[in-house]
Amino acid sequence: MLQQEMWVRERMSMNDLTFRVYIGDMDPELLTFLKRYVDSFTKVDLLRFFHNNPHTIDTVENIAHYAGRDQETVQRELDQLATRGLLEKTLLGQMVVYALVDNPQLRKQLADFVTASNDPQFRIRLIYYLVKGGHF
Amino acid sequence: MQQSERVRTGIPGLDEMLNGGFLPRTANLVEGAPGCGKTTLGMQFIYHGAQAGEPGLILTFEQFPQQYYRDAASFGWDFRALEKQGLLKVVMSSPEVALADLERFNGKIARLIHEMQAQRILVESLSHFERMSREPRELRTLLYSFFNALKREGLVALLTRETYVLLGDEESEDADQTNLGFLVDSYTLLRYVEIESAIRRAIIVLKMRGSAHDKRIRQFAIGSQGMVVQDTFRGREGIMSGNPRQMAESFVKAFIRR
Repeated sequence: MLQQEMWVRERMSMNDLTFRVYIGDMDPELLTFLKRYVDSFTKVDLLRFFHNNPHTIDTVENIAHYAGRDQETVQRELDQLATRGLLEKTLLGQMVVYALVDNPQLRKQLADFVTASNDPQFRIRLIYYLVKGGHF
Repeated sequence: MQQSERVRTGIPGLDEMLNGGFLPRTANLVEGAPGCGKTTLGMQFIYHGAQAGEPGLILTFEQFPQQYYRDAASFGWDFRALEKQGLLKVVMSSPEVALADLERFNGKIARLIHEMQAQRILVESLSHFERMSREPRELRTLLYSFFNALKREGLVALLTRETYVLLGDEESEDADQTNLGFLVDSYTLLRYVEIESAIRRAIIVLKMRGSAHDKRIRQFAIGSQGMVVQDTFRGREGIMSGNPRQMAESFVKAFIRR
């Protein structure tokens, strides 16, 4: 029992160390953005796509085509981003279309995230975060 | 029509061909082979408007906005700066979404047009509408509706369309496709012309509804500052080719046989 507890404590401390190394000094606003919107590599792609093409209005099919990802995955991720308030999902006739919400504050957070993700150090942290399943 | 009511393209030589520029609230088609200068012409039209304080929109069905920024930068046109100043927006969408959005009341594109008080739009390219219907009559109806929506928003629209012939003497594969000429207010053709083993670029305004226009075929060049329409070929006929008959045949192949 004692050995098991020690093993758990050791693992926790390792995790804490890893956490400190990778995430510890991350900008709190970026970390909040990550926790709220980013939990997969596809979402990273989609966030970059909408940042670079902020006036895109299109269907899942076309967005998947632009992003070079499979439609089923993109559908799921777009829906999640819409539920979390980053995208606007609209019924247009018989089509469902997605667009970035027209919220300057949110767009700035997205821009900060994309700028940060151009930094190799941040990308390593981002990958660590995503590999961990988007949870700390 | 007074000169002041014209919307100038800002392209040296082209405005003179258009008797001062496009007319307000019109749909203007520019057709040509890939790489012959349609996008440059369109970007220059948007850039000139922005420089004159007339905001413009680029509605693209094929190129990513970054490609426009990059291509424009090669001519010294800072599209990113124009975006920051609210003089330009690049909307990436698809024909079916853009049409449906414009048809509904207060759609996203219409809101954007109102917010930025856009006066010009470049649409690239109408060729993508062709995937919406294989039935020419239905396609014409869709395009007619699209053009009217742009006019309703008070825009002067420059619409590009690819032709799949590089030179005039090739058979056109899309000859039986929708003829857009009669749907639009003006119709300009860009062509490669082969003259004595050299490829040159030629432009002709085939139609301009409600206005006189230059009907001559002119040369044009794309240089470091964009497109410049030059003199007619006729003026250079005797100087450069020394063979007027060959020149005439090239023109017939490029424009008339189609």
